[in-house]
Amino acid sequence: MDYLIHLSILFAIYGILGLSLNLVMGYTGLLSVTHAAFFGIGAYTTGILMAHAGFGFFTSLVIGIVLSGILSFIVGAILSRLSGDYFVLGTIGLNYLVLAVFTNWYDLTRGPLGIAGIPKPNLFGFSFFESSHFLILAIAFLLITFLISRFVVNSSFGRALKGIREDQKALQVFGYNIFSYKLAIFTISGALAAIAGSLFASYITFINPESFDVMQSVFILAIVVLGGLGNLKGSLLGALILVVFPEFLRFIGFPSEVAAQTRQALYGLLLVVLMLYRPQGLIGEYKL
Amino acid sequence: MDIIPQIIANSLIAGSIYSLVTLGFNLVYGATRFVNMVPGVLAAIGGYTVYYLFSQLGFNLYLSIAAGIFIAGIFGYLSDRLVFRKLRRNKASNLVSFVASLGIFTMIQAVISILFTSQFQSILDVTQSPTTYQIFGATFTWIQGMIFVTAVVAFIGLALVLKKTGFGRAVRAVSDDEEVSKIIGINTDKIISWIFFIGSCLVGLSGIFVGFDVGISPTMGLFIILAGATSSIIGGIGNIYGGFLGAFLFAFVENFGIIKISSEWKPAIAFSLLVLFLIFRPEGIMNKKK
Repeated sequence: MDYLIHLSILFAIYGILGLSLNLVMGYTGLLSVTHAAFFGIGAYTTGILMAHAGFGFFTSLVIGIVLSGILSFIVGAILSRLSGDYFVLGTIGLNYLVLAVFTNWYDLTRGPLGIAGIPKPNLFGFSFFESSHFLILAIAFLLITFLISRFVVNSSFGRALKGIREDQKALQVFGYNIFSYKLAIFTISGALAAIAGSLFASYITFINPESFDVMQSVFILAIVVLGGLGNLKGSLLGALILVVFPEFLRFIGFPSEVAAQTRQALYGLLLVVLMLYRPQGLIGEYKL
Repeated sequence: MDIIPQIIANSLIAGSIYSLVTLGFNLVYGATRFVNMVPGVLAAIGGYTVYYLFSQLGFNLYLSIAAGIFIAGIFGYLSDRLVFRKLRRNKASNLVSFVASLGIFTMIQAVISILFTSQFQSILDVTQSPTTYQIFGATFTWIQGMIFVTAVVAFIGLALVLKKTGFGRAVRAVSDDEEVSKIIGINTDKIISWIFFIGSCLVGLSGIFVGFDVGISPTMGLFIILAGATSSIIGGIGNIYGGFLGAFLFAFVENFGIIKISSEWKPAIAFSLLVLFLIFRPEGIMNKKK
């Protein structure tokens, strides 16, 4: 049962990451391989503020969201001018850069040693120490993220994003400022990813740079692509499959190091197979 | 002690390694027009083949290098044959091809970790200090000298093949316009397969050199492909000559950058350069402005 709760919490965290990346990839058609960077900003903000500065979880969460939003705004302002291939390369470069900061800014992040002893959230004296209580919190944030995302994509703003995805030129002709639309959604997406980071840091109680490398971004990308681009429920489905399925490897008796690598090999293979036979994913509404 | 000559030497060696990746990356990019991540992991395949044959099984060094180059080439060829050719038939967008290449990259990197562990390994016996040479106050090993000579020879050789041979003309035609090349009777699939093979051989060689110079790890490919892609963009993406220059420019900026900042920040310096070029001159130094 504990194990099931553990998996559900991971599902909620990756669900938030999938939903927020889908806004950029599925609804706006911008392929981004840097989501782990924003995930990491949220996690490090919560980790450092809670473990080293005595802040509460919810304060650190809000600060994390703001910091990640600011970073994604700045980066978005640079990258949104680029198109296609160049945008992709820029995002990979950004993830690499942020990872270098996590690894090398020793005084702040303690480098490869990571930050340990991150406490659990506490709300008006009620502690989320028990996993089952933490699960409620995680699911609540997943729901909030889902509702925000649904609100965004169903608004007129969201329809304009889909328009950009389908035919950028046409939207420009109609007088839409493409650049600011892309920048806005990139910022929202980065800010939402920080929520998942804060939850992750507080739940696992330990973070190090490894969890936020480019391969993590590829994993989040695989969630979105598998579930389906441009469909929010697809991201939840993708997160469910990719979080739960690899656990069977552990049951068959793979040692945990090999299980992690096998999981990586499998989602790599999955991406190739999807691109060959079903680039829109399981229930997607858009092809890259 | 004046460190400038040593930094110039280091830049030339790093530039040589990057130039091989960039040549391979640009050849493939020219023919297929999408950012391909697979070369990164092919560099790791080259490095690990030599590690396995030479360091673990004790085969002859040159035989191991030849095998490493060839196996990287074969894997590159297979990536085209099994995946990218089908995607071309499907008229897949360049982003779909990119994601597929990312999948191949991720998969092979994980398999290398399973086979050889994720530890850092060195190909050469670190207990033996290699023979060193000195020119103008810069010290380098014979292997580093060999790396530089090989990169220059590879570049000149490739430039001659592209310029003088019928095969080179076909390659240039496919890079110009694949559809038209097909219409005038060029077997474009066959040419592209060869491009993948040759490009991948060059990238494999760069991976082997990285192994000699610093060592290998399963995740080495990401930095290598980003260095290659950055050099290509600096030089003008798809432009063989520009890419060669771009690789050296990239290496010089990176190595001179760490005079002031500690060397862990190398990637940060490198990718700031990438972003600067993406914003201010995305067509690179050798391509014409679009």
